[in-house]
Amino acid sequence: MIIRKHRSDLAILFATLGLMALGLIIIYAIGPMRANVLNSTYGTDYDPNYFFLGQLRSVGLSVLAFFAAFKWIPYKYIQKIAKPLMIAALALSVLLWILSMAGSSLAKCELGECRWFNLGGLSFQPAELVKLALVIYLADFLARKKEEGTIGKWQEFWLPLLIVCGASLFLVVIAQGDLGTGVAIISIIFGMLLVSGVPAKQYLIMLALVIAAAVGAVATSSHRMERIDAWLTTLTGGESSDSTYHVENAMLAIGTGGFFGVGIGNSIQATGYLPESINDSVFAIMGETFGFVGLALVIMVFGVMLVRMLKVAEATPESEPKLYVVGVFSWTLAQVVVNIMAMTSLVPVTGITLPLLSYGGTSMVFIAFALGFVLQISCYTSREVIKNENISSGRRLRGTYHSSRRRSS
Amino acid sequence: MSQNNVNIKKRINILKRVVMFALLIILVRLFFIQIFEHDIWVAKASEQHTLLETITPKRGEIYMMDKGEPVAVVLNQTAYQIIIDPAVTDKDQIKSALETHAKDYISVNLDEIYQQEGLRYAIVAKNVPRENASKIAEAEISAVWFQKNNQRVYPEGNLASEILGFVNADGIGQYGVEGSLNQQLAGKEGLLKTTADVNNVALSIGKDNVKIPAEDGKNVVLTIDRGLEQGIEEIGARHIDSTAATNVSALVLDANTSEVLAMANLPNYNPADYGNVTDASAYLNFITEVPYEPASVCKSFAFSSAINEGVMSASTTYFNQGYEIVDGWKIQNAEQRASLYGTIDMKTALYWSLNTGSIHALKLLGGNPNQITQVGREKLYDYYHNKFRLDYPTGIELSEAEGVIPDPNEGWGRDSVYANMTFGQNLNITMLQTATAYTSVVNGGTWRTPTIVKGELVDGQIVDTWTGDGRGGGTPKVQSLLGEDSDRQDPSRVAGPVENKIEDKILSDETSATMRDMFINNRNYKKRAGIDRNGYDIGGKSGTAQVIKDGAYDNTMSETVGTYIGFVAPSGEMPKYVIMVKMSAEGQYLDGGIASNFFDDVQNYLIDYFKIKPGNN
Repeated sequence: MIIRKHRSDLAILFATLGLMALGLIIIYAIGPMRANVLNSTYGTDYDPNYFFLGQLRSVGLSVLAFFAAFKWIPYKYIQKIAKPLMIAALALSVLLWILSMAGSSLAKCELGECRWFNLGGLSFQPAELVKLALVIYLADFLARKKEEGTIGKWQEFWLPLLIVCGASLFLVVIAQGDLGTGVAIISIIFGMLLVSGVPAKQYLIMLALVIAAAVGAVATSSHRMERIDAWLTTLTGGESSDSTYHVENAMLAIGTGGFFGVGIGNSIQATGYLPESINDSVFAIMGETFGFVGLALVIMVFGVMLVRMLKVAEATPESEPKLYVVGVFSWTLAQVVVNIMAMTSLVPVTGITLPLLSYGGTSMVFIAFALGFVLQISCYTSREVIKNENISSGRRLRGTYHSSRRRSS
Repeated sequence: MSQNNVNIKKRINILKRVVMFALLIILVRLFFIQIFEHDIWVAKASEQHTLLETITPKRGEIYMMDKGEPVAVVLNQTAYQIIIDPAVTDKDQIKSALETHAKDYISVNLDEIYQQEGLRYAIVAKNVPRENASKIAEAEISAVWFQKNNQRVYPEGNLASEILGFVNADGIGQYGVEGSLNQQLAGKEGLLKTTADVNNVALSIGKDNVKIPAEDGKNVVLTIDRGLEQGIEEIGARHIDSTAATNVSALVLDANTSEVLAMANLPNYNPADYGNVTDASAYLNFITEVPYEPASVCKSFAFSSAINEGVMSASTTYFNQGYEIVDGWKIQNAEQRASLYGTIDMKTALYWSLNTGSIHALKLLGGNPNQITQVGREKLYDYYHNKFRLDYPTGIELSEAEGVIPDPNEGWGRDSVYANMTFGQNLNITMLQTATAYTSVVNGGTWRTPTIVKGELVDGQIVDTWTGDGRGGGTPKVQSLLGEDSDRQDPSRVAGPVENKIEDKILSDETSATMRDMFINNRNYKKRAGIDRNGYDIGGKSGTAQVIKDGAYDNTMSETVGTYIGFVAPSGEMPKYVIMVKMSAEGQYLDGGIASNFFDDVQNYLIDYFKIKPGNN
């Protein structure tokens, strides 16, 4: 099978850029309110444009990272540094952990959790690098094991996998207290495992073990139980308390949006009622601003993006890029679903950003970078050597692909 | 390989279904929240976002006149309430700031406030002056707010406290003009209904924002002359010191306008410190709120009634035997000197304040010089009730008591009751009612509603807005201290401005002139003694009122109220001012003679103060 480079998946391209643009618009509208709330409550001195400019910078960097991965860095190169990258990501996490325990000012902490390196005016969250590195590493690892035919073997397969994944989860969830990223990492692991061809029985046992471990971790932590309790309270319409405040105000924002929303710049919940309005809760503010119509559109864009990624994975003949795309898919899926479900009280609040929309540099740059490679891979999806080279319509391309699939099956 | 591929495609399809399923759940959930529950969330949001705030209007200031210029006697001072959000405010910082700069104004126990869970709003200090508040503000502690409120300031201290009244802690005026004109002074509260951010700062983005601006209260200018009031209060204080009197009142009316130029009640109090008044009667305005028996001052009304009816003159004579027997009661004259027995004229009777003289006037009113008749009683009632309006509140812009006049026909012993009424017993009226009626007797016969409000001060100009919106017509507003039901409308406790200023010519010019002559004659001895200065016509009438103790007159005269009423005019001219004074003390004999000394000081002070030029003869 000869694969020639063709056009990238335009849906993923436009979805990525479109979401980033939407994120900019929303931060432009509510950034000044956020600045005002912080200034009057905590006596800070943020410029009204502070958050918009920050987001603009993040988007700029993200677009750069996106095109770098898409156009300039061959995926093969990244493939080669999979192992060192993974080691570097874990090493940085360990370093952050040590620095935070030593009380160094290089470790930036918020609400008692130390998740960032403080680099002068910039901050960097190594957990984002861990996610990216893990996707690249697992793609490489799983593809190799598949070639070796050792998938499912304890010593050659499960043991090294458990070490890497366990270390990642430990550093992110326990050392940094970042449950949201933990959920994303578990999603990445299980998404990629599923497509790697792990025997179904082993897969289900592992899944059951992780779920059991998660339940145990929640049940033994009073602060996590509180969140579950708050979630159940909100879901069943119980009495308000401090712990239900966040979700209630997210739902209040979404609910007041109605069908068409209150319009850009008219959000009231963003004036301080809704915590994390510019980052984790940005979906709720969008619900207030753009209404059901706007949210349905956002969800559709994410949906198209996710499904297109699966299409790319499906049509990628080589195992390693295929697994990579599934990894990025699982990462995106976890963040989108967990974030939105938390805002609508379908799952407890975990503190996870909405990809490409939330304020926050590191998260956006890394996901954009990861998506860039997906787009690069989408240029090499399989089709039989096309009889008619000039066909450029996506519809026709898909048609061709489908017909080939029918023939092969 | 092929088998493996199918396997993987299947698994990718599982992922596809996971995506579809998750997003579908989310969409259904969003539809539920945004469409189905939309109204519920909007209602909750409005509850959370709406800030309802009343906008406090500025209370009007109160001015007096001082030689024709308005001067402020009640001012506002801005003070601040300090509010914190205990969940956010740095507790130690605000505590030390408050204790350093506003220790006396802390209104709560801070430690208790800090212990209350979930508290997001607490007023921690009240009435903090601007300087202290700004020092706390300089500390720039987060989540500390300053709310303005107004406090009354009285630069003249105790002066005219019974006229001014005070404003209580709820911002409501009590007593005096603060009470009676509370509505005008208070203004109208505005309303701010707005969408607010989490710190309760109003936002411009709400759809249903309502702002009804507050209407500031009116600045009231009183007719009271500050300097005159001050002088008279000083004179009153001296007379408290030099006589047995413990309470003195003095009233100066403009004879031609019935404007109140001075209204002094002693002892008074400091309205800024109203809470420390031990005897609540100190708040009362004895001139308008406390009726009494006016005694012989009332002879002025009985005499002028008969003269105005044309049945009597100053030279009309009658036989004085020193007493009169009516309904089996012996009514005696206070003055029993032998030279007065026999036939004397009415001028002499008034000079010596003989009760037999005023009873004779009542007889003449009835058309029979030998006895009191029903016609006479009804005539006198007509004058007292319809002309002198002794049982109506005068309609001044102050809280007033209603007077009481017995019915001419209903009840036992009407003749004796009406005989008593000619010299001021058996009826209960206020000093202001007495003085207003007396003013009409001497000013040419015109009864005018007395007023204490000159107008409203607008941009430094006195505007008589009260005539415009206060007096729309109709009968005077009436209220009753006695709680009696009357045939007049609206017996509310607090009198507002009268709706209709009355100007009623009740006596002829001649009657008034005759009465003035007799009043001037009454003071011949004062003139001879050099107390009344040359070049001025000073007339007057004394009164010594017995006090009813345990339902009966105390004939031992061990406690009496001394009153004196008179007018001041340049010789040969019409009266300019009417002055009335009253002195009393528990268990003390204070007669018209003692009161006349107080009157003397007041009239001489008044002539000097207003620089009244003497007349020609």
